[in-house]
Amino acid sequence: MLINRAKNLINDLKNDLADTETFKDMNEVWHKYLGGKGSIKLILKEIKELSIDEKKTVASLVQACHKDALNLFNKKEKLLRKEKLSEDIDNQSERLGYDLPKIGHLHPISKTIREMNNLFTGMGFSIVDGPEIEEDEYCFQRLNVPTDHPARDMQDTIYIKEPEYLLRTQTSSIEARILANYKPPFKIVSSGRVYRNEKVNKSNHFIFHHYQGVVVVEKINLKDLFGIFHILFKKMYGSDVIVRYRNKYYPEVEPGVGPDMQCFSCRGKGCTLCKGIGWIEMGGAGIIHPNVMKKAGISTSKWMGFAFGLGLDRWVMAKYNITDIRALLGGNLGYKYYENESII
Amino acid sequence: MKVLYSQIKELVPDLKASPKEVGETLTMSGFMMDSFVEVVYKGAKDYLIGLEIRQNRADCLSVIGLAREVAAFYGFRVSIPSIELNIENKTKLNIKIKATDYVKRVLAIKLSNIKNSESPDWLKEYLAFYGLNSINLLVDLSNYVMLITGYPSHLIDLQKTDGQISWSLNNDFNKMVTLFGSHIVLQKNTELIIRDKKNILALAGIVGGKIAAIDLETKSMIVEIAVYNRSIIRKNSRNLNITTEASHRLEKDLDPNSADYAIKLLVSLFVKYTGGKISSDLFDYYPKKHTSPCIKFDTDLPSKFAGIKISEEDIFRIFKNLNFTIKKTGRQLLVEPPTYRLDLSIPEDLVEEVLRIYGYNRIPTNEIPKLEIIPNITPKNIVLSEKIRDILNIFGFDEILSCPLTKKSDNEFINYIDWDIVMIQNSVNDIYPNLRQSIIIGLLNQLNEYAKNNVDFINIFEIGKIFGAKAKKNKYIEYEALGVISTSNDNNLTEFKNKIESLLRLVGLNDIKYFDAKFKPKIANSKSCWDIYIGKHCIGIIYKLIPQEVKLNVYFAEINIAKTTESLLNTKNNPVVEITQKLIALDANVELNANESIFKYLKKLEDKFDKNCLWSINISDVYSLKSKVRYTIRVTYKELSDQEAKEVHQNIFNPTKV
Repeated sequence: MLINRAKNLINDLKNDLADTETFKDMNEVWHKYLGGKGSIKLILKEIKELSIDEKKTVASLVQACHKDALNLFNKKEKLLRKEKLSEDIDNQSERLGYDLPKIGHLHPISKTIREMNNLFTGMGFSIVDGPEIEEDEYCFQRLNVPTDHPARDMQDTIYIKEPEYLLRTQTSSIEARILANYKPPFKIVSSGRVYRNEKVNKSNHFIFHHYQGVVVVEKINLKDLFGIFHILFKKMYGSDVIVRYRNKYYPEVEPGVGPDMQCFSCRGKGCTLCKGIGWIEMGGAGIIHPNVMKKAGISTSKWMGFAFGLGLDRWVMAKYNITDIRALLGGNLGYKYYENESII
Repeated sequence: MKVLYSQIKELVPDLKASPKEVGETLTMSGFMMDSFVEVVYKGAKDYLIGLEIRQNRADCLSVIGLAREVAAFYGFRVSIPSIELNIENKTKLNIKIKATDYVKRVLAIKLSNIKNSESPDWLKEYLAFYGLNSINLLVDLSNYVMLITGYPSHLIDLQKTDGQISWSLNNDFNKMVTLFGSHIVLQKNTELIIRDKKNILALAGIVGGKIAAIDLETKSMIVEIAVYNRSIIRKNSRNLNITTEASHRLEKDLDPNSADYAIKLLVSLFVKYTGGKISSDLFDYYPKKHTSPCIKFDTDLPSKFAGIKISEEDIFRIFKNLNFTIKKTGRQLLVEPPTYRLDLSIPEDLVEEVLRIYGYNRIPTNEIPKLEIIPNITPKNIVLSEKIRDILNIFGFDEILSCPLTKKSDNEFINYIDWDIVMIQNSVNDIYPNLRQSIIIGLLNQLNEYAKNNVDFINIFEIGKIFGAKAKKNKYIEYEALGVISTSNDNNLTEFKNKIESLLRLVGLNDIKYFDAKFKPKIANSKSCWDIYIGKHCIGIIYKLIPQEVKLNVYFAEINIAKTTESLLNTKNNPVVEITQKLIALDANVELNANESIFKYLKKLEDKFDKNCLWSINISDVYSLKSKVRYTIRVTYKELSDQEAKEVHQNIFNPTKV
């Protein structure tokens, strides 16, 4: 009988193991067969009642059964572990959401200023700023525009307290402050809001933005200025941009320069955007007028400088295809929340 | 200024360039072409070229002036027909110049036996190109000569005057009716006028009066052309808000010498077209004859300014074409421009003359300049603002820019600073006469605009100036400020505050505290409004808005960039540590009166710790009691053993239960 029990032992164990689904069940089967009071121990206790031959037979059967049992448990444990892992993966898995995370955007004016600043700081320029409530002295007088000068017509001023305090009409006022407060040499750029007493429409606003550059060193000339513009225009509008430089009057420079860009809309043929001229005025520039230098106490026999001022809104409108200047100051300028500009 | 191609061609007979080329040439040399239209004049095809005239070139507000420019560029001579008046009657005119400080020259002459009439078609057609309506032959010829020569003239009907005609400052008249019928209120002692014994005849250099205006019945008249001190014309024109073709020219520097030609041309046309006779001697008040300066000029200068070699031959050729008189003394030239070039007085002016005629397009544009290295003077607030923009973008905030002009009522609703409103004197838009005292105004407008257009996720910011005044000190103040606005369907103040605080910490600030705001704007929920402090310095404000048009919770924070920069410059942080022992977190409960500030308590508490052993202090729980609030404060220690940490903790919070 004991021989039969020993013979059946491994099949019984197999059947029991096959029914187990958890580690706990498997442990119970382990104890049932391999534990201190398990089937194998019981058979070994009873074996002493048998004959020597029967002992040998049963012992051999038990030994084989024990070995097979260990293998079976090993396999079963691996199987259960695999099943458990699969179950854990199922239970703990997460799906990717489909919501687009909100990203913020720079205003195109800021973005353009930043691009220009990066270009100029790369060339060793400093960035400076200045007040928007400005004194007549810095906005006009130090820039060679005395009180009764006809050039004041070009910049119809918004006054805080006439004639002394006003809202700056140009960022050249920053130039006047830098010239007055620092000793040359310097290379600076600045940007900011300027104000003019103008009617608001699609192309004009009483608030707009200037980008200003000033260089005062021992030796500088128009070729250098054009070289700077060349780099700037190519960077902002691509290598196929066409620029012309014409003579233009500004009281703070002599000689004066007007850089124009060929109209990006009609490629110079003339359209409503460029008012049929084929060119878009992008700003003004020139060699700093000796009167401006003298008023700042800078010797013109030693130092020479150039200055430029760009109508930033036009640069931005051209770059971003904005057709109404009013959009740049609130209103209907928006950002697609799923898109942003490339940073490289 | 517009000019017909045929007129340029008439004055520059050798001109070969096409109308378009002429426009482009003038553009490159300083007078930008802003229109180009094919027209018919005197029955033939012609071209009307519109040009932007440089502010310092009043001489070019004339056909002759522009013809001179074209001739100079192409190297041709201008052919201006000479005119001599046949003055037989030597009767002196009864004219007196009293305002001698303001009058540079007056030329006047009497014409009689005039037969005024309607103008011929060619004249009407011509004036129409300039938007001038035909009045009658006399007036139209006067306008015609102004366009040809650049000199406005004034015609006085002698039958309507009484006694001596004088140029004086207005002492007697309170008002005047112009020849266009407008009523003008005058201020005594300020306007330069032309008058007779009883009446005001004209605002000198600006507009004629109705009293002695020319009409079809005019038989005898005085024709006058004058050049004034430009300042008084500009001042009067601005004060009276009258701008005319005459004032537009006379408030700039005009050459008194060339007025001779203008009056001769005008009188000769009157004689020719109206049958009038010259019946007086020419009155000529010209006490100080205008002469050109003699400018010392180094011929190396154009090359120095341009950066390319410009030969002495080129310089001579250009000066000659511009009708300059040149004398050579050694290496220097003595250059005398013609008297109509009042814009030229220094060598740099002459450099520009050389370069604009030589051509800017001959200067290379693609050579990268070699600029010397100069110390950087960029102020730190600019660096900070740029960093803030990037951080807020990462937090999902869009940047906007808004108008800094606003309504007084808006300022009164949002102001939280002890300063007065800055008003502007001459706003283009009367609805917005003030400068903003907080950035929230623009942000709120944008928020409402976005909400109207169904834009969601409205989190926006602006970096810009806010303005105020200290009236007693007569001082204007402006700060660069960051304004941030956030909307939410739920109560989200803490999350908003955390974003602002994260921003401040990311730029390098610590010791950030919030205290009940000293000055709460009316737009804020007064129970949710705090001043933001860095250490002892208030740098801004954070608040929840009272309910707005949009049915959302709206939160706002404003940070003063300059003060924040200053705090940053005074901050020395080193967040990097080596962790050599386990961190030990211990809690302590403290109870404060409901009105006591936990931030003040924490500030005092922090001072008690040895900073070398402190990792962090956080409030891990808050529980409101009847009149008190219980805070669970979690202190995390570093570099201490369990026992040491407990001892420190016990000492600090003793006698509070731990």
